[in-house]
Amino acid sequence: MDKLYSLSATSMKELLDKKEVSSVEITKSVIERIEKTDKDINAYISYNFENAVKQAQEVDEKRAKGETVGALAGIPVAVKDNICVKNLKATCASKMLENFVAPYNATVTEKLYANDAIIIGKTTMDEFAMGSSGENSALAIAKNPWNTQRVPGGSSSGSAATVAASQVPFALGSDTGGSIRQPSAFTGIVGLKPTYGAVSRYGLVAFASSLDQIGPMARTVDDTAMLFSAICGRDAKDATSKNYTFEGYTDSVKGMRIGVPKEYYGEGVSAVVKEKVYTAIETLKAQGAEIINISLPSTEYALSAYYIIACAEASSNLGRYDGVKYGYSGNRTAGLNEMYESTRSEGFGDEVKRRIMLGTYVLSSGYYDAYYKRAKMLQQNIVKEYNEAFKLCDVILTPTSPITAFNFGEKTDNQVEMYAADICTVTVNIAGLPGINVPCGFDSNNLPIGFQIIGKKFRESDILTVAKCYEKTVGGFAVKEF
Amino acid sequence: MEINIKHIAKLAKLSIPEDKLAKFETEMQDMIKMVENLPEIPTGGAVIDENDTMELREDVVVPSSPRDEMIMNAPQTAAGCILIPKVVE
Amino acid sequence: MINNNYEIVVGLEVHAELSTKTKIFCGCKNEFGAEVNTNVCPVCMGLPGTLPVLNKQVVEYAIKMGHALNCNINRVTKQDRKNYFYPDLPKAYQISQFDIPLCENGYLDILVGEETRRIGVTRIHIEEDTGKLIHADEFGGSLADYNRCGVPLIEIVSEPDIRSAEEAKSYLETIRTILLYLGISDAKMQEGSIRCDVNVSVRKKGQTDFNTRVEMKNVNSFSAVYNAINYEAARQIEEIEKGNEISQETRRWDDALGQNFVLRSKEDAHDYRYFPDPDLLTFVIPQEKVDELKAEQPELPVQKTLRYMKDFGLSKIDAETIALSKDKAKFFDECMDFKKCDAKLLSNWVLGEITRIANERRCEIADLALSAENLVEMIALIENKTISNAAGKTVFEIIVDKDEKPSDIVKEKGLAQISDSSALQTIVDTVLANNEKAITDYKSGKTNVLGFLVGQCMKQSKGQGNPAMFKEMVIAAIENS
Repeated sequence: MDKLYSLSATSMKELLDKKEVSSVEITKSVIERIEKTDKDINAYISYNFENAVKQAQEVDEKRAKGETVGALAGIPVAVKDNICVKNLKATCASKMLENFVAPYNATVTEKLYANDAIIIGKTTMDEFAMGSSGENSALAIAKNPWNTQRVPGGSSSGSAATVAASQVPFALGSDTGGSIRQPSAFTGIVGLKPTYGAVSRYGLVAFASSLDQIGPMARTVDDTAMLFSAICGRDAKDATSKNYTFEGYTDSVKGMRIGVPKEYYGEGVSAVVKEKVYTAIETLKAQGAEIINISLPSTEYALSAYYIIACAEASSNLGRYDGVKYGYSGNRTAGLNEMYESTRSEGFGDEVKRRIMLGTYVLSSGYYDAYYKRAKMLQQNIVKEYNEAFKLCDVILTPTSPITAFNFGEKTDNQVEMYAADICTVTVNIAGLPGINVPCGFDSNNLPIGFQIIGKKFRESDILTVAKCYEKTVGGFAVKEF
Repeated sequence: MEINIKHIAKLAKLSIPEDKLAKFETEMQDMIKMVENLPEIPTGGAVIDENDTMELREDVVVPSSPRDEMIMNAPQTAAGCILIPKVVE
Repeated sequence: MINNNYEIVVGLEVHAELSTKTKIFCGCKNEFGAEVNTNVCPVCMGLPGTLPVLNKQVVEYAIKMGHALNCNINRVTKQDRKNYFYPDLPKAYQISQFDIPLCENGYLDILVGEETRRIGVTRIHIEEDTGKLIHADEFGGSLADYNRCGVPLIEIVSEPDIRSAEEAKSYLETIRTILLYLGISDAKMQEGSIRCDVNVSVRKKGQTDFNTRVEMKNVNSFSAVYNAINYEAARQIEEIEKGNEISQETRRWDDALGQNFVLRSKEDAHDYRYFPDPDLLTFVIPQEKVDELKAEQPELPVQKTLRYMKDFGLSKIDAETIALSKDKAKFFDECMDFKKCDAKLLSNWVLGEITRIANERRCEIADLALSAENLVEMIALIENKTISNAAGKTVFEIIVDKDEKPSDIVKEKGLAQISDSSALQTIVDTVLANNEKAITDYKSGKTNVLGFLVGQCMKQSKGQGNPAMFKEMVIAAIENS
């Protein structure tokens, strides 16, 4: 078994349970694979190989002794670099936190450890999770395994790339406006953004607190669900997390009502994306799903509301990077204000600065009502619209991204165009709903296309069922050989 | 839309170099234009979602963290504290 | 001296640290005086990725204060972020409350002279305290200690209803006592557990609208409040008299110098960019809880003062002195509950000997071995003339440190007052026989020697004789001689 690294987590688990392979063998295979391919993919900011092997040995010993092991026992997982793993760096791909070593574990990290998962490394991302291409990383720019001239999407660029390149079976990403789903679409993998409150945010370095969620990314639906099931649930350390038990899923959509909102299939969506998503809808229809046309008219404002809320929260969340307690510190010899300004001007990249500025502006005296308050009111309207829509259907199906992976540098000069590409995903965060990307074919450049299934709150079961049914019907998703 | 970019930068403790000011200003203008696309809706009262509530914590002591770990990332420390360059009011 | 043509207008913002076991948003100990940076964790240090979880006890303590200050309680509320940069604020925002304070629209009655004054309370909200910066030139900067970060605070904002420095002081004292009565704060000004910002303006007497106000920070003792207000009012009057405008600014009070200095002008006023903290959702306090907290409210100092005056006939000064001290009032009430002694006599003992001893020993009355029961019995023995005042003092000196029944002490030490006239007569005769000069003096009109003679009799009787009887008997004996 020389290609252990390429197995799904589910297959690894089977082999491990049957004691046909050891976790050390799998871990070493994964490490070797990363060492061989990561110079091309550049998915990681830091590796955790030594600890990983040690951890794998411990899990193997546990298993050998017949002790109970966790649900992810011995399986390697990659973690986005905005999630704290004690004693490892958590850089958020920023110069600001380039040398920041997390002195505590995120709750999801604790859960990975409790489930005996092997943390293999920390994946790169857009700085502070702000971006849709991975290009805003100050430390490592990941490439799309399907075509290394193309971006892997973002902000969970490294997690998407490492999974798509079969370096690891699965990874944790975070999603504030599409940061799990869009790179999953760009790299042809499955990525789940859970319901807001389903997974603890404790230890996830905040971008926009009311929108951020940690979620799993994998090459199969089963692996996605396996990782999700291990990390979800209420956490007393996160006041916004909710009591929640994941109920599992099936592979049948028979009788399920799938809503198709016309607003998501407009002009901005490329023809090939539309075509492939419509084909996927037909596939699901053939499996017994009922297709219902619906309307979500507030979608056109969602992007604006999203950027106002996200930037407002970010401007406050990122205030703490001031050169005092941790991270980059600028000129410390010319008074407090100079230290603050030099630290923040030199430590943050331009995209982060732009968003902090926008957020500061919309909260500043005299503008709060016009922007922030209005956006929050609109958010309530969007939630209401979804509630109405979910009276007509069980899940909603849309494209995940209006376009496929673009070339490096192609959109860096036009922020607004870059933001507009988030249109399909941001509404889901604004409404706090679960969403999943499911691969559904390729464009003429052989770049992956994905569709998004949006579920009711805490109905991850529903969207995973649709994803599983589709995966089974099409005979699994293509994996990039390399 | 007139934006006092210097004022906003000052509030955010960012210094935008003179040669980058114009670019930043245009970008901000674009962003503002994009987010101004919100419909007028009544905005009276406070922003509060009465349907989404949280549980409160019991007043029970949890051991604090080792001091060394809490200050290990600081640029400068002294006497168990984080050292801050002279504070000029 | 304040110019008589002007009236002072003051509003106070009082910050009080709550004495919960843990901090407001994490489980670190809420404790004063710990070694630097030992009561800290990733949450109160504001490390990236950490989240606040609100302490229920903080909310309940604040509601208790809200009830005590007659506020409406907003059962459905939230927390907001106040954004500003300073090294003692690790997240660069303070979690506070902006547009929906937990408590609002209340009032506090205070006693000023013989008059009750009602001061409006605009709001009470909960928020987190900041860390402490210790200036340390030897290290070329300041040392940041984050132990105080996240200590729960309530901010009590008054209406501009206060009209003098005396009123402000009385308001603050009453607030402090209420905090102690409710048991929700240590209320130690010297440890900074109560801090005060003072808003001052002046206006011509008879004027109904307000003039521009000046905010003074760092006013941290009762005397500082008093001095800072008078200083600032005088400064403003002087400016106005000179024809200058008062500018809306923030000034820092320097108590040592007895002056204030401009901290920032209106142009530099902060733009705090308040918005609801997305890490903390709406919280709802059940009506039953609000009612329960109201039912638990003890009698508060002003009510106590008035009751002592009305029911027990105490003077205002005595009643207030007892009521403004939770310790004295608790002991006084315990004693009165026995319904065995006179309130006036009791208040003399509580404010006299007992306070003197507690002060000497730097402790509370509650720390003394003295029990209410013993004290009441002792006073009753004096009242019914079983023992003299002097003997009472002897008894007191024993019971203050030992739980012994005063009647037993009296018996054991033979302290009972002698009112048997034949026994007393023997003593009087002896004393007069030994003091012939005094008798001559008395007869020649120097009647003040009478005190001396009675004193001698008391001495002879080892304090047990009835002094009134001695006095009569001495006079009778001299006049008959």
